[in-house]
Amino acid sequence: MVDFENSSSAMAVSATSTECSSGGNQQGPRAEIQPMKKKRNLPGMPDPDAEVIALSPTTLLATNRFVCEICNKGFQRDQNLQLHRRGHNLPWKLKQRDGKEIRKRVYVCPEKTCVHHDPSRALGDLTGIKKHFSRKHGEKKWKCERCSKKYAVQSDWKAHMKTCGTKEYRCDCGTLFSRRDSFITHRAFCDALAQESARSHTQNVPNINSDHQTHVVEAEKVDAAVVISPPPPLTPSTGVLSPVQSVLSSDLPEKAMGMIQHQKVAVVETEPPAETCLPSATASATTTVSGGSTTSGNNNNNPTNSTGVFASIFASSSLLPSSQLSPATYSNLICDVTGADRNTTVEPMSLSLSSSLYHSSTTPSLFPPPDQTLQHHRQYVHTQQPALSATALLQKAAQMGATSSNTSFLHALGLAPTTSPAPASTDHYQEASMGQWSNVQAKQESNCISDHLLMGPPAPSPTTLDFLGLGTGSSSGYSAFLNTIGGSRLNVAGVQFEGVNTGRDKDWDDSIDKKPRLL
Amino acid sequence: MDTMFTLNQCHHQSFNSTITTSGSSSRSSTEHHTTHHHHQPPQQCFFMEEDNLSSSSSIHPYYSPNQFPSHDNNNFHHHLISTSPPPQLKSHAFSQDVVREFSDSLSPNCWSRELLSEAARALADNNSSRLQQLMWMLNELSSPYGEIDSKLSFYFLQALFARMTESGNSTYRTLSSASAKTCTFESTRNLLLKFQEVSPWTTFGHVASNSAIMDAFNGETKLHIVDFSNTYCTQWPNLLEAIATRTDDTPHLRLTVVTTTGSNGTETVMQEIGNRMEKFARLMGVPFKFHVVHHSGDLSYFNLNQLDTKTDECIAINFNGTLRSVSYDRRDYLLSMFRNINPKVLTIVEEEADMDVGTDGVKFLKGFEECLRWFRVYFEALDDSFPKTSNERLMLEREAGRAVMDVVGRRPECSVERRETAERWWRRMRGSGFDGVVISEEGCDDVRALLRRYKEGWSVLQPEMGAGIFLMRRDTPVVWASAWKPV
Repeated sequence: MVDFENSSSAMAVSATSTECSSGGNQQGPRAEIQPMKKKRNLPGMPDPDAEVIALSPTTLLATNRFVCEICNKGFQRDQNLQLHRRGHNLPWKLKQRDGKEIRKRVYVCPEKTCVHHDPSRALGDLTGIKKHFSRKHGEKKWKCERCSKKYAVQSDWKAHMKTCGTKEYRCDCGTLFSRRDSFITHRAFCDALAQESARSHTQNVPNINSDHQTHVVEAEKVDAAVVISPPPPLTPSTGVLSPVQSVLSSDLPEKAMGMIQHQKVAVVETEPPAETCLPSATASATTTVSGGSTTSGNNNNNPTNSTGVFASIFASSSLLPSSQLSPATYSNLICDVTGADRNTTVEPMSLSLSSSLYHSSTTPSLFPPPDQTLQHHRQYVHTQQPALSATALLQKAAQMGATSSNTSFLHALGLAPTTSPAPASTDHYQEASMGQWSNVQAKQESNCISDHLLMGPPAPSPTTLDFLGLGTGSSSGYSAFLNTIGGSRLNVAGVQFEGVNTGRDKDWDDSIDKKPRLL
Repeated sequence: MDTMFTLNQCHHQSFNSTITTSGSSSRSSTEHHTTHHHHQPPQQCFFMEEDNLSSSSSIHPYYSPNQFPSHDNNNFHHHLISTSPPPQLKSHAFSQDVVREFSDSLSPNCWSRELLSEAARALADNNSSRLQQLMWMLNELSSPYGEIDSKLSFYFLQALFARMTESGNSTYRTLSSASAKTCTFESTRNLLLKFQEVSPWTTFGHVASNSAIMDAFNGETKLHIVDFSNTYCTQWPNLLEAIATRTDDTPHLRLTVVTTTGSNGTETVMQEIGNRMEKFARLMGVPFKFHVVHHSGDLSYFNLNQLDTKTDECIAINFNGTLRSVSYDRRDYLLSMFRNINPKVLTIVEEEADMDVGTDGVKFLKGFEECLRWFRVYFEALDDSFPKTSNERLMLEREAGRAVMDVVGRRPECSVERRETAERWWRRMRGSGFDGVVISEEGCDDVRALLRRYKEGWSVLQPEMGAGIFLMRRDTPVVWASAWKPV
């Protein structure tokens, strides 16, 4: 509805005056002979010599306003009326309409409270005044089925129906929505929004700003420049779906930098350290920025682009200043690059880039189904080869391992899924992909079980950490987790009691075996 | 412990065939619930993984000496991974009766209701041996990862057990604090947004309330919304957008959110939410002020001065899922308390159930049945809306499990999840000086348009009597949304 308000006022503007014209219309209707040719008045300035017509609401709303004087039959169009009059066999004189002098007419709105009631703000078009009257003061009889928007004028409604439901809303983080309300709610809580500074923005968000006339809501320069905050800890934000691939496939160095900065920024929201070691480790190995990008790339639905992403990430890393560049300077760089844009309403480079380059994700969901992400991880893992170093991963693993305890005992119980390495590794990924929840659960599970079984604090043993640093504490979480996924037939219950050492070694060996695959 | 029943939807045959007590059949079953089950040490039969059991480790539900022979550590291990049934388990012997009783009669689709009702009856009758048997059986069949019946059985069994041992309060606190520990802004946001994306359960109330609030605020310039809700401000972005777009002169909006959980987790979460709201309002171009008040304990003891209301502002009060946290005898008082602020509109969104379990006896049974019914409806709705393997659904189910624990396991005066029917709320509101405001046609249209965006099965019902509208899930009213003004 609001859009039409805009257009209607635009239409109205074309025929009304914003300031008084030279006093011509103030005194009331005046009839004068005007030249025959139709000249359009400038918007906002009705012809001072025009005749001001004030029609009543009934007349305005009447559908048949051309009435035959002979038989009182009503017609919607003047031509139809003329055609009808011919049938009455009028004498020549009466055949002529008394409209030899065509006066310019302007119309005022009968509604007293309306701006257009004033002759100085009369509308020049009868259809215009009719539509205006219906829209502003009339009853809204036409309703959109999809979004329940109501319209008084049928043509407005028809025009709306053409576009309703087809419009898709895209958040700066890249997620696509088909529903406006979920888009808005997402937008409010989106991490991309959180990264903005208090600067004004130029509009790029589709609907939000189009509705605004009075308030200068300018679109977000998503992040673009000012990220004074230190680069994100090496944690991916599972909530951010950013199709980094499309962005980074750009060849423009500075824009890529801007975009990467954007992506990094989008990921800044610190998650509790996720045990998604792989991506985090990646981040540590490469520049932080790329790391951020890759992690967010992980969450993308679109597996086919993943390899492209990473390729381009590595390509773009080369564009970046060397990784020794401190975060602060990097931000400054970006600031300098985009600093000029700060106070202008010029389209932000990153934003325009992002909107043009973003692929459309097909689902508005923030959460890709696990199996997709799983494949994702597999692909991702393979392409990670050059960048990952086992040392970095192990270091990460060591860090992670410190948080989970009770590893040895659970191993002893044989509750670790050591029986089948293949599913175990994928389960690692699955677990990794599920992000927070699984880790949390894993930790809690391990705590609970250990508390019960051990009746005392167990000695954490770093050597029992598996490759991903998830520790066997998480492995018990696995089984439960796997059950949740419903995909695993892991026979945990059937595992026999194993000696402490054997269990431990076995797992370690397995992890070592897993290494090549991961890399 | 041997599984007498392997109730699995795929294996109906096995249901009857495994009834005989087998000697030492090795456990090779890999069905979810049993597998998972054996994961947990006995003490965990009735607790969920998230428990911080250090605080409750003193409870040994099944293996307390007077009921079963005591187990030492070896047997615990044995129980966990053993492939042979622990012979000491006397349950084998006496559970025979119960097994026989139910072996032919349990229906595959709602066996949990039957068993749980029987268990509740046994509890109410103080029939401890029967209760033990039933609980043992339920224990075998329950799992938070199984079918709906298994899940319901899990949570209700846990609650029944807590009721039996009078440990409801501590168990509930344990469960709550365990979940609060892992609660972050992101996790909360993601959970809620996902839930709202797949199900209209919460968005229904939001749209209806926002519509009523917008109608009430029409033409006002200084607005103040006092928000008591459990949806972490996910309601407000759409209202902000409506304020920004539908009115010519954008009014000034103050939002005061009152949290009732009182746990530490919510402070940081609310702070972050506040930041986002402020940013979003700035984006929308709405002059906006955000304020959080943390209140612990019963809402009826809330100090209204903390709201800092101004004389020139137009107040709307929003209760979304929080009125149920007030104890029964304080509800009317609370409502009249808010009547005295003289808000322009007061909106209520509540779930349609009558969870008055009383203290014991017939009232308990009736209330228990209603709880069973209600949570089944909820779990089914979740099951419908979410994909099969969904973290978010699991989190929501756990939250519901805590609610079950609260209603069934705790004493009435401490309970915070006792829902009441719309009819009763309506009476309370009328009695406290409020009159129902009809939700406008546009609002109803908005709600209907909202429901169209979800999977089918949802509809709106406008009752002939009373106020408000109901969200219906397959002809069962589930959520009630209403608007009120002081008379």
